[in-house]
Amino acid sequence: MLRDFVFMSLLVLIILALTYLTYSGGLGDLPPQDIRTIAKNYLNLTYNQEVSWLWTASPEAVAAIVWDYRGLDTLFETVVFYGAILAALTLFRSIAKAPEFVSSTGLSLIVKRVTAIVTLAILTVAASTALHGHLTPGGGFQGGAIASVAPLLLLVVFGKQFFIGRKITYSKMLSVRNISLTLLGFTSVALLVLGFLIGVEGYIFQNQAKTVSNLSYPTHFLDVPLGGSLIFFNLFEFLAVASGFTLVFTILLSRDDTLRRELEGEERGY
Amino acid sequence: MKRLYKSIVPVILSFIIYVTYTGSLRLYDIFTGVLVALIVGILTSSLLVEDWRKSISLRRFSNLVRFALRYFFIDEVKAHLLLIRLSLSPKLDLRPAIVKIPIKTRDDYGITLVSLSITNTPGTVVIDLNKEKGNIYVHWIYAKTTEPEESYKEVSKVFDEYALKIFD
Repeated sequence: MLRDFVFMSLLVLIILALTYLTYSGGLGDLPPQDIRTIAKNYLNLTYNQEVSWLWTASPEAVAAIVWDYRGLDTLFETVVFYGAILAALTLFRSIAKAPEFVSSTGLSLIVKRVTAIVTLAILTVAASTALHGHLTPGGGFQGGAIASVAPLLLLVVFGKQFFIGRKITYSKMLSVRNISLTLLGFTSVALLVLGFLIGVEGYIFQNQAKTVSNLSYPTHFLDVPLGGSLIFFNLFEFLAVASGFTLVFTILLSRDDTLRRELEGEERGY
Repeated sequence: MKRLYKSIVPVILSFIIYVTYTGSLRLYDIFTGVLVALIVGILTSSLLVEDWRKSISLRRFSNLVRFALRYFFIDEVKAHLLLIRLSLSPKLDLRPAIVKIPIKTRDDYGITLVSLSITNTPGTVVIDLNKEKGNIYVHWIYAKTTEPEESYKEVSKVFDEYALKIFD
């Protein structure tokens, strides 16, 4: 009883001390109360057609910042993410290329039937999230992350044999990922290349026309704003993330001793 | 060709989910919805549909709708009332037992429908099944009988008959 009381008082004391420190600025400057100029500018310009040399043609300010205003940052984030997946694939490369034939029959038929229906729903929702990334919260990465749940479920519920039987192979997934990444890169330099070919100014990560360059991705498609390059970025990011995660899941769901065998040489230094 | 026939129902289902999730019906949503539904539907068709003739049968579909209405408004209500009575009675008169119940439906979807219907009604939970022999094992909180045939009538007859009409 006394122990509990002392423990609780200690916790309260720590929280109070931390609060005092935070409010007195001991852990760094507090965020300002008013909206910062740069945030104001993003909000004012993202979908402002009257300032067409600074707008992005997308009503979704977050997507516009991620893939247009700060596109280069996102490119490097993407590189880091794919570097991590690449490292995982390299580490377990021999498992990946020769899939083990575990005689797994998966879970019960009730789980299998329900998962089959859920898989359809997951893939549909994921595609909608990615394709509306320039209109509503969401986007390529989010959509890809949702979509990758489907193969994960299928791997667990139907067993690894299911993928092998349906010819969803390692190299095919790798190709999807590589092609999407290439297209992602191409989207970022497409206007630069076009400008170079027809002899006008163009920039890396150019989305809409600027004061010195009149090249521009389409602004509208049917009856919605398209956000120019944002839809392409979202689409290719979606495919790349979904296939990248699937690759990693396939490897990580290998049997424990297979994974361990792969890492066995480590402590012996080769 | 067979694969396309098989895809009919998955495509429609996928399109409905797409539009519902997106929450709007602009031209863009319909265009991308049809595109996504076609891709997802064809990709998942072999996973979802075994016999395409069954899948597009309107009679089976109307049975499914009838079953859904009946299940949620009659069977669920009855089971809830029974459990409310059990849990509020001062004696807490329980008769828990695990009973073996033979079911007639042999289709995977049919067995799934029966099992989930039983599990989703309060008081009964399917804990195991034997597909070859067509038996399911049900934990029953107030077992009126432990005879397989009697239990069948009490617990799963309605679900099983509808499952036969919808899926077999």
